[in-house]
Amino acid sequence: MYRIFLSWRFLRSRRTNLIGVFGIFLAVGALILILSIMTGFLEETRRSARGSLSDLIITMPPYSESRRPRDPAPVLEVLRKDERVEGASAHLGWMCILTRQDERSLRILVDSQSSEIAGIKLTGIDPATEDNATEFRSSLDKVGRADDGTIEAPRLRVASLDDPFAAPPDYNANVGRPRASVIVGEKVMTYHGLRRGSFITLMTAVPDPASDTGWSAKKREFVVAGCFRSGENEIDLERVYIDRGQLARFLAGVSEDDPLPEDSILYSEVLVKLKDYASDAEAVRASMGAQLFQAGLIDETCSIRTWEEFRGALLGAIENERVLMGIMLSLILVVAGFTIFAILSMMVTEKRRDIGILTALGATPRGVLVLFLLIGFWDALIGAFAGAVIGTWMAIKIDPFERWLSDTFGVQIFNRDVYLFDSIPSVVTPMAVAAIVVGAFVCTLVFAAIPAWRAASLDPVEALRNE
Amino acid sequence: MSERGDIVLSARGIVKRFRSGDSELEILHGIDLDLRAGERLALMGPSGAGKSTFLHVLGLLERPTHGTVDLDGRDAWSLSTQERALLRNRHIGFVFQFYHLLPELDAVENVMLPAMIAQSRGDFREDRHQHIAKALDLLSNFGLAHRLHHRPAQLSGGERQRVALARALFLDPPLLIADEPTGNLDRDTGEIVLELLFRAQEERNLSLLLVTHDERLAERCGRVLRLEAGRIVGALPGHG
Ligand SMILES: Nc1ncnc2c1ncn2[C@@H]1O[C@H](COP(=O)(O)OP(=O)(O)OP(=O)(O)O)[C@@H](O)[C@H]1O
Ligand SMILES: [Mg+2]
Repeated sequence: MYRIFLSWRFLRSRRTNLIGVFGIFLAVGALILILSIMTGFLEETRRSARGSLSDLIITMPPYSESRRPRDPAPVLEVLRKDERVEGASAHLGWMCILTRQDERSLRILVDSQSSEIAGIKLTGIDPATEDNATEFRSSLDKVGRADDGTIEAPRLRVASLDDPFAAPPDYNANVGRPRASVIVGEKVMTYHGLRRGSFITLMTAVPDPASDTGWSAKKREFVVAGCFRSGENEIDLERVYIDRGQLARFLAGVSEDDPLPEDSILYSEVLVKLKDYASDAEAVRASMGAQLFQAGLIDETCSIRTWEEFRGALLGAIENERVLMGIMLSLILVVAGFTIFAILSMMVTEKRRDIGILTALGATPRGVLVLFLLIGFWDALIGAFAGAVIGTWMAIKIDPFERWLSDTFGVQIFNRDVYLFDSIPSVVTPMAVAAIVVGAFVCTLVFAAIPAWRAASLDPVEALRNE
Repeated sequence: MSERGDIVLSARGIVKRFRSGDSELEILHGIDLDLRAGERLALMGPSGAGKSTFLHVLGLLERPTHGTVDLDGRDAWSLSTQERALLRNRHIGFVFQFYHLLPELDAVENVMLPAMIAQSRGDFREDRHQHIAKALDLLSNFGLAHRLHHRPAQLSGGERQRVALARALFLDPPLLIADEPTGNLDRDTGEIVLELLFRAQEERNLSLLLVTHDERLAERCGRVLRLEAGRIVGALPGHG
């Protein structure tokens, strides 16, 4: 019984132990706080890395020799029948150049040093079925940020959610004016100086066996119906949505109201959203792949990938960063453990005589070992518990806390303009908190074990011989 | 005093060598000793003769280079560390020249320390009131009723030694080992402590092994041994 009693008494009677407790408290609290914010940042980054990508992306290059059906309907039908699938939608993507009657277009085209993107990913979608498969609809009224950095109220960026490609209300499509409309990314809008109702010209090339180069150029004027905000910089800067049928007409070179010719290109990929991505992704991919292949709906040129594979490099980097960060931050624990080591070593030296006395009274070396280990244990218990509580609390309250600090002292710690986030992201994962607390205990006990072992192997007689 | 009591402690051929650097220093050259129940034995001799070393071997604190120590009918130095610690706890009470109390504990806690070491947490809690009563009893008997919750630093030398004596007696060990218990006290204070020591020894019929430089003290012991340069050079019956 003396081990617990004495370890507690020794702990309380030596103020220096408070330094050890405080060290662990600080380490655990800081680790939880920093890792929570890191996790928050990473999840936010991951979310924006995913952007408007669906769970599964079936890439189906529209080669002319392909014997696949020209229309995406059979593929979509197969996919939508599966009860694990939430929704599926066909896309047609095509790279374009955007110009308009404005000085700015010229400046953009000649600026070879620009880091902004001049090319446009024109994406043909079916607005009616898009909602189930991608985040298209939510990007139309997503909360954004005004130029001065303040958060805007949610606002609709197009005339109507139900008919997003409808031209602006005051627009009348007279003869000679564009009749097809596009929805451009928020950044495209500002970069090119567009407004709703502006006209833009899109230019591109399509395969043309009749031409001696194998390609022929296409261009068409469109009206801007509105914009979208995905929150992902690159997408907002280079994507332009258009009705899939209108894109097919543009590429086929037929007028907006004419029927599509037989051989027009209708889709290049199919996006699938699953009900439970985490558990079903691999299974759906395998079974779908087999089923579609057998039905002759996909061939070797197609691929089915998860969104993570599309962003593999970025996600890998994020994961690396998280692991690396964790390892580096764990050094704080090592430092705290070292403090315990130093304090306990001092204590063992100081308590040589007491250790001798205890041995004379019948304590075993093992008992002495446990006694000093327990001192480390109490340090870890108090420090880790307090650190976990305060650290978690701080992590949850970091945003109001930072705002309060900024307001009170007038120093901005977290510049919300720099990030795409409106508040400091922080995600407290119980597993991480538990791991940190366990880590603190292990670290402390390992470091306490060295002086404790020294205490246990002290010669009691040596300690008792003199005053 | 029963000279014919059972043998409590029996040492045979105790040799102790210390290694210092390359050379070995032999401090004890093969000592035999028997101690009977209720016997009061004084060990005298010049400084550096090896008295304390001998006591430490007998008190199971220092392993002899050769020789055996039988305590409670067992060869103590062939037991495991745990068993030997238990033997020390239950069978030997120590009184040191420098008191050796734990500075963090008050008088009562210091006295109960042997029981704390002996018992598990649950057992100690169960017996707590008995232990406290016993500690209070011992301390009041030693005239420390008004010093129960003083820390060693708040006690005088004589008071500290009385607390140490109470601690040595707490688990009623059959053997009491005292290394110059009055060496650090003035004559009058030492006298008080000695009175208490002898009284307890008589009342409980303990075997007392006492190292002292004080001839007059030795005279009050049943047997006196002289240790010189690691050998017993003379035994004289005391006047106890
Ligand atoms: N660990 C050790 N290493 C080397 N020599 C030691 C050790 N312990 C004791 N000695 C030596 O053993 C001898 C006996 O010491 P011990 O303390 O037993 O003497 P003592 O008879 O008790 O003397 P005193 O009356 O001064 O207390 C001394 O010369 C001492 O230097
Ligand atoms: Mg001595």
